[in-house]
Amino acid sequence: MNAILVGFAVVLLLTVVAGLIRVERGPSPADRMLAAQLFGTAGVAILLLLSEATAIPALRDVALVIALLAAMASVAFVKRAWHPGPSDARGGSS
Amino acid sequence: MSAIDVVSIGLIAIGALFFIAGSVGVLRFPDVYTRLHALTKADNLGLGFVVLGLALRADSAVVIAKLAVTWALVVVAGATAGPLVAEAARTSGVHPWRRSK
Amino acid sequence: MTIADWIFDGVLVLTLVWLALRTLAGGQLFKSVVLYIAYGLLVALAWVRLSAPDIALAEAAIGAGITGVLLLDAAGHMRGSIESRSSRNLRARNQSAEGGEDG
Repeated sequence: MNAILVGFAVVLLLTVVAGLIRVERGPSPADRMLAAQLFGTAGVAILLLLSEATAIPALRDVALVIALLAAMASVAFVKRAWHPGPSDARGGSS
Repeated sequence: MSAIDVVSIGLIAIGALFFIAGSVGVLRFPDVYTRLHALTKADNLGLGFVVLGLALRADSAVVIAKLAVTWALVVVAGATAGPLVAEAARTSGVHPWRRSK
Repeated sequence: MTIADWIFDGVLVLTLVWLALRTLAGGQLFKSVVLYIAYGLLVALAWVRLSAPDIALAEAAIGAGITGVLLLDAAGHMRGSIESRSSRNLRARNQSAEGGEDG
């Protein structure tokens, strides 16, 4: 039974590896950030599966922290890293 | 293997399927907006089914509550980040993809 | 250790090494930041596999979370990178194209 759960964790890890290809290709920063968000969710699922398989309840807390901080990364990306600068704002209004 | 085990594994398999579909969608779809669509399905439904399958095997109500809170946090995060990223992409001039004739 | 455990650990280790190389070797700043966030997540998974959940908790919070946000902010301030310059050129092209349609 535990081996089946770890098997599903392997499948989810492979989807993370596939998502890395999207980070490599881009093309826009938003595409890379979306892939990073997919990693966060897949990581949460992997941790929950491993927590059940290895009977370490503390892993659910790790999953909780990752779920909390994945949102912060996306918001920081939109608000700080990818803001249209002052020159862009001028160009948009003209 | 009891009946609960079978149902739980089935639910986790459905969740893994959604994750695979979301990953393939993020890889194959043509622009930011369609990739966002694929991603949120993986987030909400994929993790939702995995959590549902694991909640069947949980031994206490506290564990089920923690699983539910984790899923709720991911759903709220996806609902916050999705519109923000789409809006930022729109204002920065990424045009939605159209099928070329 | 079942065979599934071995596969999981093998995929994790290979991905970690490849990811570390790509993070350091990538020419684009923003891509390196996103790869670093993914790297922090996978390192947390590695600590989990070494049955050290408390270190995994710290790594997930500090490595993938706070440092990722700080690096994103820093990358936003460094507007001279290749990535942001090319995206600004894209925006400028789009705006001039729209202006041409209006005229």
